[in-house]
Amino acid sequence: MTVNTSIVETADLMLARRQVRREKRKSFYSSIGQNKAAVVGGIIILLYISMTLLAPVLAPYDPYTINLQEKLQSPSFAHWMGTDDKGRDILSRILYGSRLSLGVGFSSVFFGAFFGILLGLIAGYYGKWVDTIISRSLDVMLAFPGILLALAIISALGPSLINVTIAVGVFSIPLFARIVRGSTMEVKQLEYIDAIRTLGANDFIIIFRHIFPNILSPIIVQGSMRLATAILSAAGLSFLGLGAQPPSPEWGAMLSSGRDFIFSAPYMAIFPGIMISILVLGFNLFGDGLRDALDPRMKK
Amino acid sequence: MSNDVVLEVKNLKTHFISSKGIAKAVDGVDFVLRKGETLGIVGESGCGKSMTSLSILRLIPSPPGKIVDGEVLLNGKNLVTMPNAELRKIRGNRISMIFQEPMTSLNPVIPVGEQIAEALRLHQGLSKKAAWAKSVEMIGLVGIPSPEKRAKQEPFQLSGGMRQRVMIAMALACTPEVLIADEPTTALDVTIQAQILEIMKDLQRKIGMGIIFITHDLGVVAEMCDQVAVMYAGQIVEHQNTAELFKNPLHPYTQGLIGSLPKLYEDQDELQIIEGTVPSPYDYPEGCRFAERCPFARSICSEKQPDLIQYDEESKVRCWKYTNEWQVSLTKELVTT
Amino acid sequence: MIFFILKRLMQIVPVILGVTLVVFLIMQMVPGDSAVILAGEGASKETVEELREDLGLNKPLHEQYFSYIGNIFQGDLGHSLKNNQPVLEEIMIRLPITMELAFFSILITVVLGLIAGIISAVKPYSFSDIGVMLVALLGISLPSFWLGLLLMYIFSIKLQWLPVAGWDSMAHIVLPAITLGAGGAAIVARMTRSSMLEVVGQDYIRTARAKGLKEHVIIYKHALRNALIPVITVVGLQFGGLLGGTVLVESVFAINGLGRMIVDSIRTRDIPMVQGGVLVASLVFVFVNLLVDTLYRVFNKRIDLN
Repeated sequence: MTVNTSIVETADLMLARRQVRREKRKSFYSSIGQNKAAVVGGIIILLYISMTLLAPVLAPYDPYTINLQEKLQSPSFAHWMGTDDKGRDILSRILYGSRLSLGVGFSSVFFGAFFGILLGLIAGYYGKWVDTIISRSLDVMLAFPGILLALAIISALGPSLINVTIAVGVFSIPLFARIVRGSTMEVKQLEYIDAIRTLGANDFIIIFRHIFPNILSPIIVQGSMRLATAILSAAGLSFLGLGAQPPSPEWGAMLSSGRDFIFSAPYMAIFPGIMISILVLGFNLFGDGLRDALDPRMKK
Repeated sequence: MSNDVVLEVKNLKTHFISSKGIAKAVDGVDFVLRKGETLGIVGESGCGKSMTSLSILRLIPSPPGKIVDGEVLLNGKNLVTMPNAELRKIRGNRISMIFQEPMTSLNPVIPVGEQIAEALRLHQGLSKKAAWAKSVEMIGLVGIPSPEKRAKQEPFQLSGGMRQRVMIAMALACTPEVLIADEPTTALDVTIQAQILEIMKDLQRKIGMGIIFITHDLGVVAEMCDQVAVMYAGQIVEHQNTAELFKNPLHPYTQGLIGSLPKLYEDQDELQIIEGTVPSPYDYPEGCRFAERCPFARSICSEKQPDLIQYDEESKVRCWKYTNEWQVSLTKELVTT
Repeated sequence: MIFFILKRLMQIVPVILGVTLVVFLIMQMVPGDSAVILAGEGASKETVEELREDLGLNKPLHEQYFSYIGNIFQGDLGHSLKNNQPVLEEIMIRLPITMELAFFSILITVVLGLIAGIISAVKPYSFSDIGVMLVALLGISLPSFWLGLLLMYIFSIKLQWLPVAGWDSMAHIVLPAITLGAGGAAIVARMTRSSMLEVVGQDYIRTARAKGLKEHVIIYKHALRNALIPVITVVGLQFGGLLGGTVLVESVFAINGLGRMIVDSIRTRDIPMVQGGVLVASLVFVFVNLLVDTLYRVFNKRIDLN
């Protein structure tokens, strides 16, 4: 009898919790819809994603074919963004390059989010010495200023776009882990988690089935913000010649080669920069909007 | 008699305009305050008493708040239409305020002595030194020991009771004609509350100012006030002198409030409570705003809004019960049934 | 206060040890035999073995780490593979340049950020506010290296007001400092604005208004002081990103600072130089954070209570 009641109670608690989640989600979507910044940001991101998919259709030229006869041409009807020092069409290269720049951004954030979330869940759920060890390690990772940790990692692994992805991803781990840890500790104290445990659910089920869905929103906000920074960092590393190598049309690498022609052909550097800026702006707007939608206290 | 009037509020209306609609927080309030007199304004939270007090010095947050109608006359001069620069010379000088929350009403990063002294420099043109000396004197006057030391401290170093004393010292530093005290003791415990009230009464005798005392605590009203205005849903529903109010409350709402007080020497089975809830300021009923909760309500009450009428020489009430219409509607009902 | 600083100093010891460990371990990840790399191309087998013995590379990893730490505390960060110069010596030449750049950048971050934030907060939702906040949003979205190139193109090449690159005079500092400080300024501006708007809604601002104070006294004396407290922390956090950013900006403007040294060393695979550079930059960051914490403490004594 007592077992039955407790099962019923637990089920009630779980249902109530799910209801809360559903309502939160509903108000979240409606407030995102009302948030102009988030909508503009979202549209920018969607445009960029469709650009990566449609690059072969949209690009008027091959991004790699060298045509020295047409090198360093200013923007014209034939070449909307001009041509680079090897006579390649800059617009076509930018369209193809979107795959690399967005790809690096997304994969590095997924990489960082995956490990960060895992560490954060473990630290937040188990607490005690497990938490101490993880938290102190995260402190150490955060003690490296900006992209210097990424630089150190690349210096060991060697320059390449994949290594840039890993390096930038590692840099994101502590940021995700900290947020997840805090939220996990909050959710862990909820009454229904105890109830589920008394019913015999193991840690794995509790963590992934019951805690994780409750802490998704801060992760999503952090993800959007991190994407902006990750894209900037990856482009910066390629700009330094530590990421994508020529003739790759990665935007940071394009900027890097454009730098040598800043006197004679500034458009070589200007267009990739504009593309990066608008994309990062999109993620920042979207992230701002998400945060406002999730945390009404931040809204004024 | 009317020569003694320092502050007169006429048909004051303060509305809050937002996407949700218009909230009529203060909706036609009238009262007068005489020299040396204490007027209590009582009512439940959300009835508009704080908004009334903030409107007097035009301190309501704007937007969304706005004084849409009415006059606030200080010795005959209208504060509502006065230019900002002129109003600033009145704020903290001729009319002062004490707020409900002593914990948050003082600036946390400025020494309390300076927070008093700056008003003295501004309004009385005192030198830095003289203002500081006066500030220390005021801190001593409100009963804080070793005022020289305390003046240099920041609010976090003071207890809640001391902070409220500092607020009083600040409000009274320029010897105002009117003091508005918005629930000055609500956040404090009972013994400190009694001390603070004693200090206020004492200083009132010395300075002779009029006090508007806003509270939801009828016990404090009985102790402090000469006159009481009872507010309900943005309006004054009853205005009497204190003794009369407790002896003979006119408005059913006031009767309910007094009935809900625990009485020390009477054997009461249970406390009376007023059933129902206050109507939303966004959407007041057409008739009397208390009708829904009123045990005496008849058809006329939900049809037409009653005016605040003179009950006798000293008392006013906003209730159909005390009008001729009431008798008419009573007979009507008798006839129809 | 002294107790607080001592306590914080004690707390950063494990962080510093952790940083050295991470740097040490990352360098262990370098593919290939360290002794072969260190000996340089074309070295004989005997030389390589001798070097392995000398550097203790045949010892277990933890012993290598302890001797690495021991060396660090003696100020020995190893020698450059390129010219065999002590790493610390090179860093000591480069660090002041980077610190100078960082100082002027943080100055721009703080001054520009505060002014913009206050302009915004004084009249929220006005045209000036929306304008400033749009610029700030751009500021956090522009890649610093691109902004640098753009400024260089406009002010050095087109207008010829300022020198293109180098580090010889105050005129050389202007563009790099703006480039590096702009992003932080944008963040500080946003933070100042939201902090001010929050403070302006506080009870004590109403008290100040009820006192009859003039609006500018309320803003600058009563609101700003309180609003600045969270901004201090943000400025501190910016410093890390800023130090990392020197890497990019020094590259753009050809400034021979620490950041450029690290990048050049990565290109030439001069591992000890990279190791030393990253370590020193991180130590600087850790100590700046300690400074910011202490400042925050001084400005916000109420922390004691909470």
